[in-house]
Amino acid sequence: MSDFPITLLFPPQAHFTQPYMGLACLKAWLQAQGFSDVQQVDASVLSYDHFLSPDYLRWAVRRSEARNGLEQFEDRDELSFSNMDAYRSAAEVAVSGDVLADRVDGAKAVIRGDGFFDPSQYIPASRTLFHSLRVVSAAWAPTKLTPHNFTMAYSIDRSEDVLAATLDEDQNPYISFYRECILPDLIKRKPRVLGISVIYGSQLIPALTLGRLVKEALPDCHITAGGGFLAYIGAKLLAAPAISACLDSIVFHEGEKPLEELCCALRDGGDLSKIHSLGYYANGDDGVVRGIKNPGGHPIALNDAPMPDFDGTPFEKYFSPEVVLAYDVNRGCYYGECSFCTLPTVIGPGYRTRNAETIAAHVKTMREKYGFSNFNFITDCLPPGMIRELPEQLIEQKSDILWWCDARVEPRAYTKEGAERLYESGCRKLLFGFETAVPRLLKLMKKGQTPKRTLEVATNCNNAGISVTFYAMVGFPSETVEEARQTLALLRANAAGTRGPDGRMGPVREVSLQTFHVDEVAEVFRDPTTYGVELLPDANADLQLYHDFHANDGMSQLEAAEMFDEIMAGLRESLPLFHEDTFFYFTQKSHYFLHLASGLSPDQFIEHCRAAGIARQAELKEANRAEFLLALQVLPDCSTREIPFSYTEVARRLAHPLARAARPDFLTGTFLPDLEIEAAKVLGSLCQTKEKKRVLAYSPGSTEFVELSIDGEAVLDALADAGSYGNLIETLDNPSGPERERLDTFVHELHKLGLLFIPSSALPSSARHANLTETK
Amino acid sequence: MNNDSNEKKSAEEVKAEAKPKVDPKKLDLGALDLSVEKVEERISPSETNVFDK
Repeated sequence: MSDFPITLLFPPQAHFTQPYMGLACLKAWLQAQGFSDVQQVDASVLSYDHFLSPDYLRWAVRRSEARNGLEQFEDRDELSFSNMDAYRSAAEVAVSGDVLADRVDGAKAVIRGDGFFDPSQYIPASRTLFHSLRVVSAAWAPTKLTPHNFTMAYSIDRSEDVLAATLDEDQNPYISFYRECILPDLIKRKPRVLGISVIYGSQLIPALTLGRLVKEALPDCHITAGGGFLAYIGAKLLAAPAISACLDSIVFHEGEKPLEELCCALRDGGDLSKIHSLGYYANGDDGVVRGIKNPGGHPIALNDAPMPDFDGTPFEKYFSPEVVLAYDVNRGCYYGECSFCTLPTVIGPGYRTRNAETIAAHVKTMREKYGFSNFNFITDCLPPGMIRELPEQLIEQKSDILWWCDARVEPRAYTKEGAERLYESGCRKLLFGFETAVPRLLKLMKKGQTPKRTLEVATNCNNAGISVTFYAMVGFPSETVEEARQTLALLRANAAGTRGPDGRMGPVREVSLQTFHVDEVAEVFRDPTTYGVELLPDANADLQLYHDFHANDGMSQLEAAEMFDEIMAGLRESLPLFHEDTFFYFTQKSHYFLHLASGLSPDQFIEHCRAAGIARQAELKEANRAEFLLALQVLPDCSTREIPFSYTEVARRLAHPLARAARPDFLTGTFLPDLEIEAAKVLGSLCQTKEKKRVLAYSPGSTEFVELSIDGEAVLDALADAGSYGNLIETLDNPSGPERERLDTFVHELHKLGLLFIPSSALPSSARHANLTETK
Repeated sequence: MNNDSNEKKSAEEVKAEAKPKVDPKKLDLGALDLSVEKVEERISPSETNVFDK
């Protein structure tokens, strides 16, 4: 053990499919400066692994039932809007909690193993993990943990709320997680510095929760925090009262140099006031602790920075069969003009790049060192020169990697030949900012591109075998409903599988749609008049980053949220990759890329998924034939539970844009509590219909939640007891006519929804692929 | 979290305990309500392969 142990920690909640790069960069830098004992901990992936375990889920079921059991809703005549979310959770836990606990380890094994590449295993496993997180959430309600987000009833815009959340043992799941899984090792290790990297708003409460616990357990440990999210709100956090109970200092922007200087100062007794880009707490003459922000420093010369060091990363814990390593080819954005984008400012100041030779050498070394050949280049976009030079170097140095990254439309670089060279160098996926089909809006966004050029670039990349994602935006200030539909129409008209007027196939296979938000660094915030926006300040939100606004023209924020649903529905109809359950591949970072890296072209991947879909359709078609219909059985893990209020109606009301606006937003973490009252008025309450009892049915992996009548449950139970539908029909003395038809239709519907299956032995081979029971 | 998995009953055991057997002969086939409802989940902005925290 060294004299100066340092621990760098990535707190929950962040993506769980690939390691985070920032810690690896900082570790490499500190080691190069002579700090030999630098540990990195991805507490986010460790927490997912912990929560998604049989024991934890069983505990979560019991805790949820004790706090918010379904029984407490049974005697109510009416369900108010404010109780609908709790009711939905209670109903889901009651019917799914135990079976999910039984299945979660199997699902993790599929996602981390070869089963990942088989749609008939991947999709049920993904569903099992997603639903298991709902059980975890129910235990800590109204807290919500999903694969993409963590929110509590506390606002991350208010320091008072954030601090209260760090102390809330009833609703904050990370207090017990840290005590059980993180603190014991930290206490044993006694780091002199704990560096916490906060890049998303969803990490703020968990980061400060850990800081508070470590300050209590290890008073001599200096706790600092940095990362992209704090580049936005760090100054506000430093000024907020009582945050010093959780942190000792905050690093602004790029962390390498200030963290190095901080560690040196703490080791050698230096003066924190001399460290650029650092904010710290100090006792004033009056005895009051205040945050002091030092001036910003110069960024590092990126090309001289060492290769990221992922040593000690628990690669086996990630929810992927193969790890995709992240690598920073550049920092900042060479273009830097887009009026909605503030990302380049987070890592700034300025744009810097590693040269192509260094990049190729580094990734080759990383491949040889860690044994992973898949890379995610972390960049806002590659400049034209790099688009030409990087492939040459990757090929020349035999880096032998496959990679993906974000990109900007550069027609002169993404030519036919350019795209082919990129493919040859291992590029398999590029994500371009298309944003909108409307020239007026593109000009307002200062994108410096046209839809025509974007489609040309995408076509070149597609033809070369590179998958292309179109980033699109809805709700930019002044955008009208008609303009948003114009964007949808253009994307649909150019969808892969659709021939345009010139007879050629369209290049649009994947679209990543986002809604527009105003953050404090954005040009729209600084110059709202130009964009026709009236900002709506919140005086109590002392940590506010995103701002509520009123658009003078075009769609309101609520209308934009509705338009988001409309566009997604349209895209799901038009894009084969978004059809039905195939969409699951697009919900997790890197997962789709791993299929491309396995050797499938985007079109082959579509066929791969379609094959599973076709087999499933074939099975459903076979089930129309009497002999197969009679072979139908109830899935072994299928369970049902009587519910007092309609589950589907509750889910429908909770999905209303008004209800969603009253809950924390995915990207911003913000919500409008006042809307809860309006939502309650508009969406009303539900009455219990005791004469028409309902039942929730569930089969892990194969279904979403299905609502039946109590009669439907009786038939389902009778079918389970009989062993097969054929046996049941026999027991019922072979009913005929309308009665039999209704039963057949019902059973067929349950089969379609995944509650029933045809045993493999009864199926023709063409329909066996998607038989979900094979994976159980 | 307490590790008390010993108290755990399998889903099958719980199901078997909780439910009396259905006598199919008593089903009034002509009057059964066999409606089925499924939730159409909305897609949130988190789920389209970007900013997927």
